[in-house]
Parts: sequence; structure tokens; C-alpha cells
Amino acid sequence: MPTTESQLLPPDLMAQLERLELVTRKVFRGRMKGERRSKRKGQSVEFADFRSYVPGDDLRSLDWNLYARLDKLIVKLFLEEEDLHFFTLIDASLSMDFGAPTKLQYAKQLAAALGFVGLIRTDRVRIETLGQSVHHRGPVLRGRRGVWRMIDYLESIQAGETTSLAEGIKNFCLRNAGKGIVVLISDLMDKNGYEPALRYLVSQRMDVYVIHVLSQEELDPDVKGDLKLVDCEDQDIAEITVSAPLLARYKSTLNAFVGGAQEFCNRRGMNYLLANNQTPVKDLIGSYLRRRGLVR
Amino acid sequence: MFDFFRNTLPPWQWALLALVPPAIIALYFLKLKRQPLEVPSTYLWKRSIEDLHVNSLWQRLRQNLLMFLQLLLIALAMFALLRPGWEGTKLNGDRFIFLVDNSASMSANDVEGAQSRLEESKKLVGGLIDQMDAGMTAMIISFADTPQVVQEFTDNRRLLRERLATIEPTVRGTDLHGALDLADGLANPGRTRIQEGGADIDVVEAQPATIYIFSDGRFEDVKGFSLGNLKPVYVPIGSFEARNLAITGFSTRRSEARPEERQAFVQVTNYTESPQSAVVEVLLDGNFLDAKQVEVPAGESSGAVFPLADAPAGKLTARLKYELDTPTKRDALEQDDTGYAALNDAKPGRVLVVTPGNVALEVAFATERSGKLGAIQFKTPDVLTTDEYKRDADGSVFDLIIYDQCAPATMPRANTLFVGRLPPGPVWRGGREEASGQKDGNDEKGSNTAASAANNAADEVTTVPQIIDWDRAHPVLSSVELANVALVDSLVLDPPPGATVLIDSTAGPIAAIAPRDAYQDVVLGFEIFGQNKDGTRNVNTNWPTKLSFPTFWLNALEYLAGGTEESQTASVRPGRAVELRAAGNVPELTVVDPAGKTHTIRRSAEDVFQFHDTHQLGVYDVRQRDAVTERFAVNLFDRDESDVRVRPSQDPDAPVTQAADIHIGHVDVKAQVGRAPTRKEVWKAILACALAVLVFEWYIYNRRVYL
Repeated sequence: MPTTESQLLPPDLMAQLERLELVTRKVFRGRMKGERRSKRKGQSVEFADFRSYVPGDDLRSLDWNLYARLDKLIVKLFLEEEDLHFFTLIDASLSMDFGAPTKLQYAKQLAAALGFVGLIRTDRVRIETLGQSVHHRGPVLRGRRGVWRMIDYLESIQAGETTSLAEGIKNFCLRNAGKGIVVLISDLMDKNGYEPALRYLVSQRMDVYVIHVLSQEELDPDVKGDLKLVDCEDQDIAEITVSAPLLARYKSTLNAFVGGAQEFCNRRGMNYLLANNQTPVKDLIGSYLRRRGLVR
Repeated sequence: MFDFFRNTLPPWQWALLALVPPAIIALYFLKLKRQPLEVPSTYLWKRSIEDLHVNSLWQRLRQNLLMFLQLLLIALAMFALLRPGWEGTKLNGDRFIFLVDNSASMSANDVEGAQSRLEESKKLVGGLIDQMDAGMTAMIISFADTPQVVQEFTDNRRLLRERLATIEPTVRGTDLHGALDLADGLANPGRTRIQEGGADIDVVEAQPATIYIFSDGRFEDVKGFSLGNLKPVYVPIGSFEARNLAITGFSTRRSEARPEERQAFVQVTNYTESPQSAVVEVLLDGNFLDAKQVEVPAGESSGAVFPLADAPAGKLTARLKYELDTPTKRDALEQDDTGYAALNDAKPGRVLVVTPGNVALEVAFATERSGKLGAIQFKTPDVLTTDEYKRDADGSVFDLIIYDQCAPATMPRANTLFVGRLPPGPVWRGGREEASGQKDGNDEKGSNTAASAANNAADEVTTVPQIIDWDRAHPVLSSVELANVALVDSLVLDPPPGATVLIDSTAGPIAAIAPRDAYQDVVLGFEIFGQNKDGTRNVNTNWPTKLSFPTFWLNALEYLAGGTEESQTASVRPGRAVELRAAGNVPELTVVDPAGKTHTIRRSAEDVFQFHDTHQLGVYDVRQRDAVTERFAVNLFDRDESDVRVRPSQDPDAPVTQAADIHIGHVDVKAQVGRAPTRKEVWKAILACALAVLVFEWYIYNRRVYL
């Protein structure tokens, strides 16, 4: 499916992403050696520092030349190279299937772009959706070769999952107990609230990014007259008569919702980013995410 | 409170209107059909609505703002239909007759805030029409010298207002009697009297009615009229300060000193309280001819004479140019500042003399003056039986036919002068039929008048009558001295009613003049020359030897054949019919009025053409075969109309502003003090408010604006 591939990850975007890499602010231990220079000192060929020997240190790392010269036991420290666990969690509920492009499509593009960045730096990339059960894990991808598998997998994601936000994140946390970076791409539209769901992520020792995707229709609704609004997920009905004060009220509610989510995330060390589906993925990654420190 | 409102709708319409507000409310209570729209989540919307529901009563009010605006709109409309207003005069009664004076004096511009008195009247009548309640009916009659039904009884106020606006000022006099007759006929059925030609208007039952008379009071008291169940209200229009200077006379006539010259005479009357001076200009066909300064004492008239010399025929106009010596310096009535007169060519009359031979007559008519006055033909009595004569006589070809010693079978359409014979028919015979044998015009045996008359036993004959008196004032006998005239014999005349005896003798009248339709008949009872039975001529009088003989015939020519000039220069009152005579036997005449409109008139059953459309002031051209044959002038010249001052009340107790009462029959109708106050109505403002509400509602609906 060359067309969809290029839709998710067009070549010019790929070219731009080639130069980026994922960043984590926390010290993570990867299971395999990767290209990533870890903040831990470890066993690589690249020298990092010296420090005094303390009993228990590996004698192999003593610098004998220095001992001969200075008659002191000095340990050579080397930089550790490791890989990164990068998770992308996509909300594939029905409410994501709105907008032009749909929020889900936008989420897929975003996931593909971030996944690509991870793959080319030989990080471990796993893309999952909220609707996956505890036992069913998404494929683990690594290396450039995984790009097309990732795209295929992304293509296969369809809207229509009915798992609630909290349930989905809980399942994700159970599936992936390790450390790493998790990027949650969702519209956070859950009648039970997003707070309990995000709390699950807080409890993980993961670097959490919440990308809040909202469509233009939600940010600035263009509706008129007397309407019966039907919720696409639970068929809930809200009768409204559109008027200027109602629209103003909606705007303020939306701002409160977005502001509340942002504050919730910031307080808990999570990174929050509001994404309009009209903002190109290229710009979003190239400027916003870069500024927030997810990529560099 | 009742005065504050005027009901405009019948109950069933109110009932219909009352159904509208419940209908609006009912429509709002019906479940609104909302359009379904699928959204990602109602999460945010629900929270927004919940916020709005906090103060739900106020929210409900706000949501139903449109309904309240619509209710306000219908309430305003109902309020407007109640026609709130104040200060109006309450109309009492159910039926009203508005008599609106539109005579010449009503054109006076002395009313503050209105173009003329008539406009003021129309404004006041309009105010009264506005105050009519449902169920009240009114009619409008305008009157000048004749009344006219402008609108019959109706309760349709719009129609009344429309018809009221059609009342135009006229230049006629005022006759309230006719208008009252008409109103009386309509209000008191069974006594309907409508002016001739008008359709009868039936009024079913006798109901009282109120007559509002809007006039300046410039008319005679109405005598011999009973108001019956009519209740009169007289609303005087105009001010006591109205001042006017008017041309009240304008005519042309031959100069006393030099008969071949004509003069124009202008009379100016001053209807102010101070002496005035004015310049009178005379124009001929629009070209300035002459001007004179006239000083007119207060309340009096002055004349000015303008020599016209040998001015050609045309339209004479006299204009007043002046500035009133009064505080307002304003002339109240413009219509009478101009006078018109027609200047006609003295056209020679056509005269036929039917005589078996009369040297004296031939000599008398041979003068140069006679030739100017008329084209004279001499024929023998044989001609009377010819078709040509009959056609000419019936076709008014001749102005004057002189029958000497003969008489026609029927009277011609012309002035006639009989010498020694009576006209045919019983008129001149005291009602007796003439005996046969007289008509052929040929005496069989009589040698003179007596002899011929003897054959007709009915015609009384006298011999050797002595002339004892003659009518020196009559134009035919002007400057004629008859004291020295001797007669052999003469018929003694029995002139018809209306005749004027010209010559009286010891035996009775022997010459007389009598009108017949549009013509005049002169009968001389005596012959000048008679014929004996054998055909020889005898002499009946010595008059041909006297100086008075040719003078008499010249007078007769001037008066009977050339007399048209004088009669046509006389002014015609507006609206009066004019009798016109055609030269020759033509079926129709054309009259061009001062505005340039052409009227074609056909010969009626009578001999003359009647022209009625004399509604405009000015000079009318009479055309015959595309040539102007004569002119006549229509002028106001009405002292009652020109004196536009409203008469103040003579009652010492009355306030100064009280106008004089008018008298109808033996009822004095008091003038209303001040004006009938016009009702101030606010329904237009209310409707404007309703419109504003409608616009506001539209704005709110479309822009989704909430307060």
C-alpha cells in the first residue's frame, strides 16, 4: 500500500526525521546495547571520566598507568551505550474517528513519525492501542527494517474500540512494566474523566508524553440552529439551541478541559501537548515536540 | 379613558386578533424538532449546558426571548388598532355630513399653516374623519354655487379621506342653500332633491345627522329652509385680517366721443380698511398695452379707462400690481387680481330685406355706415317660398331679416323686423290664430295697411294715429325723433308678454320689440309704402322724409344685426352657460378654454350652441372651421367672493375671535369659537415601534444574539 505508506510517512517527513532522535530525561536501563549514549557510566569504548577507586570496583577498570605514576588507584569510567524502550499508545475509540483528517489518522501519523525516529536510532519501538487486552502485546520493532512493519501495523488499526481510557492504560501498564518513554495519543474524551487513567501512567517509572489530539470541529464548532447532538460512542443525546452564549460557554468549558489536563500532567511530571488535527505532523514534531524535549 | 381610545375593528375581528397571542404561545410549547448531529463526544457540550442550567428560569426566559418579542409585536399592533390619541373633539351622533365650501373666496391664503382656506377645511374634515368610530357614517358635499356630492354616506374612512382630497378649489360664488337642500334630501328621505342630471340617492330611514359647514361665511343668509333633523355646526375658516384688492369689473365699449374707437374699463375695489394704490396693467394677447395708477379709498371702488384705439381682436388681460398697505402686505386672494375681456372684430351682420320694393328703405341702407354694419340683400316676397330661403332661415345664416309688407310662414332663426305685418302665429295676436290669406304676404285688395288688415278681421287697425310717446331709452330708438311723423293708418299691436312697446299712439302701441328664444322681433305696425290693389304704390307715412328715418334703420342694424359685439364682450360668471351663435349653418363649434383644452359642442335642439364648461377664468376662443370667430371672457367679478374678510360677530358678549353667525331659515348657527381641535394620534409611532421590534427580533433570530 504505497499510497497509505506515503500518507503516514511521506518521504520529506522521513528525511526530516532522519536527523532526530528520541530523548529521555530519566535514566533507563535498556536490555540491549543500543546506539544511545546512556547517562549511566558503563562499558563502552568511549572514555568518560576518572574517579577514585572504592572497594568493590571492578579491578579491570583500574588505570594502571596512573597508579604507576601517581601511586593512587584511579578507576577509568566509560560511557555506557544502551537502547530505549519507546511506547506509543493510540486511542482508537470511535470518538477518534472524527475530523478531517480524522484524529485517529492524525494519531497514526504522529505514531509513525515518532516510531520512525526511534527505529532509525535502533530503539525498541512498540505501538499499541488502548483496546488491546492484557495478554495481547503489540509487535516490538527495532531497526530500520522495522519501519514498514510498523506502518503496516499502524494501517491495520481501526477505530471502534470500546475500552475506556482508564481500562486501556491500565492494561498497557500491566503489559509493559518496564521503563521507557510512553507517548499517549488520545482526545481524552472519557465521560469518567482522564485523571484516573493518567494516574496509572504516573505510577510507572516512564517518561510520559500526553499528546491531546482535538479536531478543529471540537476546538471551534461550526454549528447552527436547534440540534440534537448524538454521542457516537454511547449514543448519549444532548439537546442544544446554538446561541452566542452557548458557544462562549462551550469555549470556556473546552479551555477548562484542556487547561485542566495540562495542569494535571505538569504537576505529575508528564509532558502535555495539545495538537490540533490541522497542524501538520511535520511542524508538530519539528517544533513543538522538539521544544518539549521528546526529540532532538 | 374612552376618549383615549378609538375602536377601529368590529368585535369579530378583535376576536380573531385575540387568538393570535395564544397561538404564538402554543407554537412555542410544541416540542421543537431538533436536527440530529453526530459528534465525537457530548462530553464538553453536556458540561456547557449544565453550566447554563444553573439559573434555569432566567435561561428559559432568554431562550424564549423571540416569543416575548412576538407577543410584544402583536400587543403593539393591537394597541395601534385601538388608535390612542387625545385632545380630539368627540363626534356625537352616527351620521355626519361635511359641507366643504370650495368657492373662490376659499382659495384665500390667509390661514396660518395651510395653503388656503380650502386646504385648512380639508385638514379639519380629515381630522374629524380620523375621529370616527366604527359604525359612524359620513358623507362629504362640496359646494360653491352648486353643490356636489363628493362621497355618499360610508363608514370607510380611507375612502372618505381619498375623496376629500379630490375637492378642488373653484372660482365660483357661494350658495349654501343648494348644499343644504342636497344634504337635507339625503338626511330626510322622501324629500330628496338632487341637482338636475344627478342620480337620486335613496336614504332608507330618517335618521338625524350632524352637518358640519366649513366655510368663510361669505354667502347670503339662507332663507326658506327648514333644518328638520339636521344639526348644524358652523366652522368658520379664515381670519378677520384677510385683506384683498380685486378687479371687480373689466369691459370694453365704444368711446362715447368717438364711436369708432374702443375703450377698456377696469374697476378696482378695495376690501381693506385703508386706502390703497395699485397699478393696473392691460395686456393684449400677453403684450403690454397700457398701465395706470389707481387710488382706491377703503371699502370703495375706482375705475380706470384705457383707450384701445384700433386694437386688433384678441384677449385682453387686466392685472393688478400692488403691495397692500397693511401690516402683512399680503393679498389674500390672487384669483381676482386679474380680469379678462374679449376683443372681437366687429363683423358685419348679414341682413335680408324681403320687400316688394321700397325706395325709402333702399336709400336708408345705402349709407356707408350701413354697409359697414351689415351685408344687406334685397329680395322680393317670392323668395319666401323657395327652398334656399327656408334653408338659410333655419340655418341662422342671417342675423336680421326685414319683412316689408310680407310675412313668412314660420319664424326664421334670426332677428326679425316686420313692417306693416304681424309675425305668423298667435303670439302677437293675443293668442288668436291668424286668419288664412295673411300668410302669403301678398295683399289682394288692400291699398294700405288698413286695407290689408281688414281682410284679417282679427288684426285691429287704426287710421291716422297720433304718435304720443316712444321709448327714447331703447337702443333702436336712440336719437330718433318721431314727434313730427304722421301716419295714415297702422295696426294696433298686442305685444306678447315680455315685449317692450317702442312707439305708443293714441290708438295704442304701434311698434314693439319682443324676445323670441335667442332672438328679438321688432314689429312696426305701419307700412312705409303700401300697394294699392292695382299694384300702384301709395305712401303711408312721411317718415322717410325725416332725419330720424335713416337713424332708426341704422339703430336697427346696429342693435339687431351688429349687436353681437356688445353682448359678447360682457363677462360671463364662472360655471354659467354661454350661448354662442355660429356664422352660417354649421353642425358644431369648437371652444378652446384658457388652459388650451378644446371642447366641441354640437347644436342642441334649440337654435343656439350652449357651452357649459366655463369653470376657468380667462378668455375662451370660439372656433369655427379652424378660425377664431369670436371670444368671450369668464371673470369672477363677485363682490361677495372678493371680500374675503371673515365677518366678526355682532354679539357684544361674544369674544373678539368669534365669527359672525350664519342664518339658516330662522335658526342662527353660532360659529365655533376657535378651531375644531384635531385629535393627536400616536398609532403611527406605535406601529413604528412594532416595526422596530420586528427588526430586533429578526436580528436576534439571525445573529443568535442574546441579551
